[in-house]
Amino acid sequence: MTNRTNPGRIAAHGVMVALSFLAIFPVYWMIQTSFRSENEIFSGGLFPAAPTLKNYADVLAAMPMLRILANTALMAGATTLAQVATGLLAAWALVRWRFPGGALARSLIALSWLVPFQVVMIPNYVLASRLGLLDTVAGLVIPNAAAAFSVLVLYNAMRGFPREVVEAARMDGAGSLRILAEVVLPNLRAPLASVSILCFISAWNEYFWPLLLIRRMENSVVQIGLQFFMTQEGNDWGPLMAAATLASLPILALYLVLQRQVVDSFMKSGIR
Amino acid sequence: MTDATITGAHVAPRGLPRLRLSAAEPWLYLAPALVVVAVWTYVPLLQAFELSFYQWNMLPRSTPRFVGLDNYRNLLSLPDMRQAVVNTVIYTIGLLPLSVGVPLAVALLTGNLGGRLRNLYRALIFVPMIVAPIVAAILWRWLLNEDHGLVNAWLAGLGLGKVGFLSDPDVALWTLVWITGWKLIGFSTLLFAAADSAISPSYVEAARMDGASPWQIVRDIRLPLMSPTILLITMMTILFGAQWSFVYINALTGGGPLRSTTNVYHVMWEYGFKTMAAGWSTAAGMLVFAVFGLIAIGCLALMRRFAVYDE
Repeated sequence: MTNRTNPGRIAAHGVMVALSFLAIFPVYWMIQTSFRSENEIFSGGLFPAAPTLKNYADVLAAMPMLRILANTALMAGATTLAQVATGLLAAWALVRWRFPGGALARSLIALSWLVPFQVVMIPNYVLASRLGLLDTVAGLVIPNAAAAFSVLVLYNAMRGFPREVVEAARMDGAGSLRILAEVVLPNLRAPLASVSILCFISAWNEYFWPLLLIRRMENSVVQIGLQFFMTQEGNDWGPLMAAATLASLPILALYLVLQRQVVDSFMKSGIR
Repeated sequence: MTDATITGAHVAPRGLPRLRLSAAEPWLYLAPALVVVAVWTYVPLLQAFELSFYQWNMLPRSTPRFVGLDNYRNLLSLPDMRQAVVNTVIYTIGLLPLSVGVPLAVALLTGNLGGRLRNLYRALIFVPMIVAPIVAAILWRWLLNEDHGLVNAWLAGLGLGKVGFLSDPDVALWTLVWITGWKLIGFSTLLFAAADSAISPSYVEAARMDGASPWQIVRDIRLPLMSPTILLITMMTILFGAQWSFVYINALTGGGPLRSTTNVYHVMWEYGFKTMAAGWSTAAGMLVFAVFGLIAIGCLALMRRFAVYDE
């Protein structure tokens, strides 16, 4: 392993540099375009010659971006909390007891992940509109309040928890909810963090259901707000790039802070 | 494990009410998740199945009209649908080099790349995965813009003509495949690299002692031991690739030009929410669900048969 020939190493680094460039350059290009003035937008230089914040001012004037970001944060936060809570409870039931119907319940939850959303979208839309959920943040959260993914990941994490510890707590007279909260939960920090990160990012990036549900710009989440803005502004590239940058900022900041955890949690759980 | 669980459910000999409660107890914990899944996935699935035999324009005041198998018959004879199916296959096959081929090659080539730079590469190539799909759509629309986009400027610099990445019917589908794949390359590369680095070095060392060439080591040791990951990513791409492309179709081309970029999911969306033909949309959904269900079963069987695990 150690005495690898140099050309091989150089080629390997070359490939990784090329791949990194491919990954990051489009994002860089978006951000730098957002700082260009109108008469500089079509010049191909790598940096804006006279950086300006005008595009950002234009976006904030043209659409309620801060409101939209707040909606999205609320939606993603609530979805994450709900998915983690329902996931924890369901996983605990499946790990703690063996009971008739348990295996069936687990399969039903797991298989729900195979049903493409487009197949159930019309009944879901009809139900949401009957419940008065159209154009609301609650309507975005409620159908996603449970996810096969979080149940399964937490189930696998809990299965490794030593049974003797649970038994000892039970002998001390603790109820099952208390055992979950006080004994099991504190030991699940790592999987909980990773499930939360994934739920949050995937809720933040959710596109299809908001596309059906949201009607007005001020009730929208970033995905749909950007879509509205894209159709309205057409080829006004500066403001469009500023809007896209603003929409990505929170998630890129999260990534910057939690980079290792984000990558690890995605890798441990496969594609979603 | 079984012992403890059984005692858990049956201890509490303090009278009947408590015993009953404990039989119901697991269901109380399961209820929130089960209710959500039932109300928003399984009941709608049955409703969609029922709806696929009706004609309905989704207006609250109109009543659905039973048409039997007409929706299915019409769909199967529509040129629209045929085009969408062909495109769905192209999306899926076109994505495989980007989600499996290139990442696998990169992971094999860079398998023992150590050092500080590795973490930097890892951080950078992962960025597309967390960028929101609509942001990816917008930034590629700008890069690939026909008149002012950077890519066309580069092509002009090379003395090549302009390419209408999103407006030329022969190119648009591949543009969308590329954008969908761009988000996946880095992620798959990391998964393959992780699978590769999990291979015990002693195998490779032993093979080298026996005089195996680097290519033989790849073919006989590294690839087989990476096969669970390879099969998993291939399966995910086949099952979900066409769904991942939806946002780009909808945001960038609307299925055009000349229906060249539409796929089955986009057709379902158009029937449902553009032309308000709920029956057609749900019938298409049922067909798609059935076909992908069969593919999923087939993939799982293949996986069980061909994956090699290092026990």
